[in-house]
Amino acid sequence: MSINNTDDNTSSGKGEDTLDLPTYDDVIEAARRLKGISHVTPVVTSRTLNKSLGISIFLKCEQLQRMGAFKFRGAYNALSRSTGGGVCTFSSGNHAQAIALSARLLNRSATIIMPNDAPKSKVSATKGYGGNIIFYDRYTQDREALARDYIAQQQQYHGIAFSFVPPYNHKDVIAGQGTAGKELMETVQTDHGIQALDYLFVCVGGGGLISGCSLAANALAPNCKVIGVEPEAGNDAQQSLEQGKIIKIDTPSTIADGAQTQAIGNLTFAIMKRRVDHIITVSDDELIHEMRYLGERLKMIIEPTGCLGLAGLRKMVSMDQIPSGANCGVILSGGNVDMDRYCDLVSSSS
Amino acid sequence: MQADKDQHCITLKDVKEASQRLKGMVKRTPLLKAPSSMNVEDKEFYFKVEAMQHTGSFKFRGALNATKSQIEQKKTPGPLAVVTHSSGNHAQAVALAARLCNTKENPVKPATIVMPRGAPQVKQEATKSYGGEVILCDNTNEARQETADLIMAERGATFIHPSENPLVIAGQGTIALEIIDQLQEFGLDAPDAIIIPVGGGGLASGNAVALRGLFSDKIKIILAEPEVLDDTKRSFESGQHVKHRPGNKLDSVADGLKTTLGPNTWPIVRDLVDDVIIVSEEDILRATKHTWEQLKVCIEPSAGVGVAVAIGKEFNSKYSTNQGIKNVAVILCGGNVDILETAKKMEQMGL
Repeated sequence: MSINNTDDNTSSGKGEDTLDLPTYDDVIEAARRLKGISHVTPVVTSRTLNKSLGISIFLKCEQLQRMGAFKFRGAYNALSRSTGGGVCTFSSGNHAQAIALSARLLNRSATIIMPNDAPKSKVSATKGYGGNIIFYDRYTQDREALARDYIAQQQQYHGIAFSFVPPYNHKDVIAGQGTAGKELMETVQTDHGIQALDYLFVCVGGGGLISGCSLAANALAPNCKVIGVEPEAGNDAQQSLEQGKIIKIDTPSTIADGAQTQAIGNLTFAIMKRRVDHIITVSDDELIHEMRYLGERLKMIIEPTGCLGLAGLRKMVSMDQIPSGANCGVILSGGNVDMDRYCDLVSSSS
Repeated sequence: MQADKDQHCITLKDVKEASQRLKGMVKRTPLLKAPSSMNVEDKEFYFKVEAMQHTGSFKFRGALNATKSQIEQKKTPGPLAVVTHSSGNHAQAVALAARLCNTKENPVKPATIVMPRGAPQVKQEATKSYGGEVILCDNTNEARQETADLIMAERGATFIHPSENPLVIAGQGTIALEIIDQLQEFGLDAPDAIIIPVGGGGLASGNAVALRGLFSDKIKIILAEPEVLDDTKRSFESGQHVKHRPGNKLDSVADGLKTTLGPNTWPIVRDLVDDVIIVSEEDILRATKHTWEQLKVCIEPSAGVGVAVAIGKEFNSKYSTNQGIKNVAVILCGGNVDILETAKKMEQMGL
């Protein structure tokens, strides 16, 4: 699988009719593939939180997923569908661990191209899962070029076929991530008697999670509004949806290290255009506030990126944009954060 | 270990009744299979996250069972009044239980919580936020009990002891029933062992009664205690009920485990428990940090005591996978902690 086909991020040359987009059926297939492998993570509610915002919130706890983030779903789904002796990818952290763990489970070798300022815990966890790491400078180097070169070398000099599984712009990755949304909506039906969520808040980095979840929302709760949340400094997806084309930005400076992508992909853009209601942004301070709230009140350690969804929901409630009593799903995307960094961030909030 | 069950203050039946009484009002907290980074050897740990229970600890179960039972049994007219002394998790639990049980048909006054004057502002505020009325007294055991007695007399209030009240103990035992139920999803009928932190012994005894009632001697029941607060260990080893060593400053980071076994909890621990393992302050903090990072759950150090035993040398050498101990349940009893303060302590210990 060549990188160019699936990861031509900035090109709008390929007409959308010719894009091989995942559908909800692919999400259902992914769920079958993941059954017994990924965790069906809890959906948590809080009386205090609901009371304070006047709505009914359902938090999908993907920080409790294998390797501590939703990324495991897409990585395992994609890898289980691909062939070859090895897998290569680039990642700011969670996708790296996801690929490394998935590769170990499927008996493949994994090479991850990682930014040199990735959190220590993410680096060591990736190595712990057996991943082989190549570091790069996220502000100056081209990770796609590095991956391309690596795969070519492995084939040429070692005769090993490495498949490439990108972090988000990949049909099977998107379908895998969608299983989180599917599970959330099914749990809300069976455990809480709610036929359909009114809103679903999802963090946006490359758009894999929100794309997959919006496929599930469209099938299970067609009137559910899917709202994307990005860091203020990294609102490329918001700009892309507003301008009708993929906008690429410089690597944003934000504490949400899982949402520092420069551009969404052509696949995720195509799905988001159709299925996402709109995207809002939140400040780093708002993320820190959420981290503290989730830790102190709900006893959950959530990484900054993972707080985007709830921060966005809180913002919209404060702007009277969510009707009272609305049923709102929020994906807590992950909890992989160094405790030192966690404490530094949380102590900086008032 | 032939337990003379007639001598114990509760039986499995009381726990099952508690389960019915609490249905829909307590959270069926998650049972999380540990990530591989937390497992030791071939063991699989299953963490019961009572940190996510209402008011942030398992204490809510016992408090609610006691309060609701009082309403059922109440013969005198007028609203029910409850009182307790605690500055910790039990205070918040009783406060919320009283508030939730208060209905038009069966009014319940805001719970009265007697606290020593030095109790942290944060805990006083938390108790008030759950609807409790805080009354401060001098910082001695006598003063606490006297003040509580006064309130009982003046207001006709019922006293809810944090660990000796049989209804409280039965309420805590409902955790075991949930664990058994939740383990079915992992294809297991029961854990091979369970690790339970022990302070006053309410959690330990309620769950021991439930598990022995269901499975007899099949499950290893291990209590986890801070070395510095080792009254349960010393009682268990000697077969005599003893309190803390004289002069013990009770200086443990596990602030929820400072109380001792009592006349109701001791016989159950003596008769139904397999072992008591103690851990150092450093081990407790290390395990707490490990849980924050690997399980992504904010637990308080008292819960870290259980994790410290689970991943520690003594438990794993005495109860190894070779001996058939593979699936181990661990009760994460609570998550009411100041993360930043505790992180500082961890840093001071070089963790």
